[in-house]
Amino acid sequence: MGRALLEGLLEALLEARSVTVEYPGVRALDRVSIAFRAGEIHAVVGENGAGKSTLMKVLSGSVRPTVGEVKLAGRLTDFGQPSDALRAGIAMVHQELNLVPTLDVAENVTLGTEPRRMLGVAVDRAAQRKRAGELLALLGADLDLSREAQQLSVAEAQFVEIAKCLASEARVLIFDEPTAVLGEREAARLLARMRALRDEGRAVIFISHHLEEVVAVADRVSVLRDGALVQAFVRGDGALRDASGAAVDEHALAAAMVGRSLGSIYPEKGSARDGAAALRLRGFGAVGRSAGIDLEVRRGEIVGLAGLVGAGRTETAEAIVGLRASVGAVEVDGGVRAFAGVKDAMRAGVVYVSEDRKGRGLHVTLSSIANMTLPSLDRHARLGGARIDASGERAVARRWIDAFAIRCARPDAPISSLSGGNQQKFALARWLETQPRVLIIDEPTRGVDVGAKAEIYRIIADLAAKGLACVVISSELPELIGLAHRVLVMREGRIVGEVDRDGLAAANCEERIVRMASGLGDMKERTA
Amino acid sequence: MTTRKSGDAFSIQRFLERWGVVVAFVLLFVASCWNQGFDFLNAENIRALLNSNAPVGILAVGMTLVIISAGIDLSVGSMVVLSAAVGLTAVNWLIGKEWSEASAVWVGVGTTLLVGLAAGSLNGALVVVGRIAPFIATLGGLAAYRSMALAIAEAGEIRSQSDALFRKFGREGIPLAWEVPGIEGAGVEGAESTFRGLLNSGGKPLTLPYSIIVFFVVAIIAQWFLSRSRFGRHLIAVGANETAARYAGISVEWVRFRVYAVMGLLAGLAGFLQASRMNSVSTSGLGVAAELDAIAAVVIGGTSLRGGFGRVWGTVLGVLILGMITNMLTISGVSPYWQGAVKGAVIVLAVLVQRGARA
Repeated sequence: MGRALLEGLLEALLEARSVTVEYPGVRALDRVSIAFRAGEIHAVVGENGAGKSTLMKVLSGSVRPTVGEVKLAGRLTDFGQPSDALRAGIAMVHQELNLVPTLDVAENVTLGTEPRRMLGVAVDRAAQRKRAGELLALLGADLDLSREAQQLSVAEAQFVEIAKCLASEARVLIFDEPTAVLGEREAARLLARMRALRDEGRAVIFISHHLEEVVAVADRVSVLRDGALVQAFVRGDGALRDASGAAVDEHALAAAMVGRSLGSIYPEKGSARDGAAALRLRGFGAVGRSAGIDLEVRRGEIVGLAGLVGAGRTETAEAIVGLRASVGAVEVDGGVRAFAGVKDAMRAGVVYVSEDRKGRGLHVTLSSIANMTLPSLDRHARLGGARIDASGERAVARRWIDAFAIRCARPDAPISSLSGGNQQKFALARWLETQPRVLIIDEPTRGVDVGAKAEIYRIIADLAAKGLACVVISSELPELIGLAHRVLVMREGRIVGEVDRDGLAAANCEERIVRMASGLGDMKERTA
Repeated sequence: MTTRKSGDAFSIQRFLERWGVVVAFVLLFVASCWNQGFDFLNAENIRALLNSNAPVGILAVGMTLVIISAGIDLSVGSMVVLSAAVGLTAVNWLIGKEWSEASAVWVGVGTTLLVGLAAGSLNGALVVVGRIAPFIATLGGLAAYRSMALAIAEAGEIRSQSDALFRKFGREGIPLAWEVPGIEGAGVEGAESTFRGLLNSGGKPLTLPYSIIVFFVVAIIAQWFLSRSRFGRHLIAVGANETAARYAGISVEWVRFRVYAVMGLLAGLAGFLQASRMNSVSTSGLGVAAELDAIAAVVIGGTSLRGGFGRVWGTVLGVLILGMITNMLTISGVSPYWQGAVKGAVIVLAVLVQRGARA
């Protein structure tokens, strides 16, 4: 192993050495050393939040490491921005599509690498279309070159995005979840193309939640967990093998991705009271994003909703409170309801705390008090709304600051001055102030430091103990396992499995959930 | 969003971002005094300054609210002329129908305000229901409402048939002096009355015009609603982040609709005061480019064009600053053709100084 590693480093085309990236309160990457070699497909896997995206951002120049260095072909790099990395030959196929909507397919593919004529003044349209056509043909994508990017389907746009990277003649290609939006046949075509790129001698970096793809295509797999590199696998004799030389499959990868002990940051699980169903969904779905969801949440129960990014969990929650068009029935306390909007849902006692705290959950430019009372402002309105009772507002803010131990010296200062954890407490408190019966909380601890995480878990557990029905959506599995009474797993807009309380206590539950969320086999057979 | 380092260290940059408009106002005020001597401080002069800027000031107050909602209303000048034209036509028509002057005028006043409200509501509906960008929707209004006013009078002037009452509102006001009866027996030339209080150069009582009173009352109410009412809070929330406002349960559509309707109502009010002052409506001249003056005053006053932050009192100072500049330039004999250039420079300067201002 030692020798193999040394060889890897010697031949590395792109290499990160002891890279650490720290954000306020979070260490996103912890002394990660990893080498990517020419002529190799190197997969990087890990749970959401394990640090994959941060690592890729470091490699592609959009994040500078706090400590550590990145070398390209043995030379130290100092990328200030992604375009520097691109010039140096590192191209990234982004998860978010970066096409110019009003340009056509050919123009998008050759963006930045347009063939020129007339001393470089004019774009050579004919050569441009020819080149774009060739690149797309390599991918097996038969697209009309003159269609505007905005008319493309997501999968088609993904092919244009990939062709764009190929056009740049990059030596290192980073594919971040490239198959997430592709159908099976298209994905197979893309994987074949990745192999071809490898055989041309390029370094291919592959990030995917689809572990079976990783097992099928990767020559080397690095597993990240909590920002650290925890395990590596290398292909030998046709199969991925671990350090001891044993062949591994996707289940072993899933086990390597998780397998961390749940610390004591989770409160003791109270017994889910055998209360009446507070929220019940029947055949429910967010139009275009999820469907056929049957879900029941009883009073005092915490139901976790697991799934990969894009599984439709957030969209379903937003549809419940009327932020999106929905199909199917919502029952609250036994009565069938259809909410026209957030306020409507709030009056019925159903509230949703958004995952996007800065963009949707809070008004970052407004004061903590204004944020706190925004949903319940009617209660402070006097004279038909002509006057807001400022002292009443202040008292409410003060009460929650005390109740949740929020560190907020000046409640009338913009809430953006608070730390993520304290903002999150306000984001939750503002909805609790409306005295809900059902709380749907999305990524309750995103961007929150560990100390505040424990406090937020405690708050949610206490609320449930007092009879609130809670739905917790989270991409952090330990959080769901530590907090929820049962966990439902969503995949591609549907509920594909459920792990009950006993299942959550079992040692393999995290792995089970990852498998279900990734679509790897039926959990019921495996647990039987 | 601009993130700033916390800490209350004094910085000229941040001070100017916040209080620049007050500094500019004081500087201009002092400059005016220096330039014109005590003539400027003359009550009559200040009254004239306020009076001539009151209608555009009312528009600017409404515009402040629109801009805080992250919108814009380019049609205010056209709403002024349309509401005034329709209102005055109604007065004349009713007088022709042999209504009493009083009832004709009062119905006319109501009509003027209602037309403004209706035009503003149409703007609001286009923005909210039609989902048209405010700039475009009100650009349509700018053209359409003016054209309707021109059509009513065939591009000419509508003269008021009410000789006494209609013109009262725009020209008269509350006297600022009271009469002291002459002391009997003491006066050699008979018992002449004298006045105490503010007098004009002719020794007659100075009046505080209703226009000025209306302007300040409107401004005070708007500032109250902005900082103290539920509507104001919702307006700021929608302007700062429409999506977050929706997620907080605010009816974004209703908030935005109302702000355009209020803007229309205020344009009707400004139109009425203008028509009353002139006792006529020039359909090709009234309210032309008023939207530019109103927006300029709002910007000078420190309201963010990106929405979500603003202050009516700043706008009031902005109106006065623009008024003082015009006043000073006119008195200094600068050609009116050059005055626009100076105003333009002031507007750009105001934006530069207040760049990044956020509360």
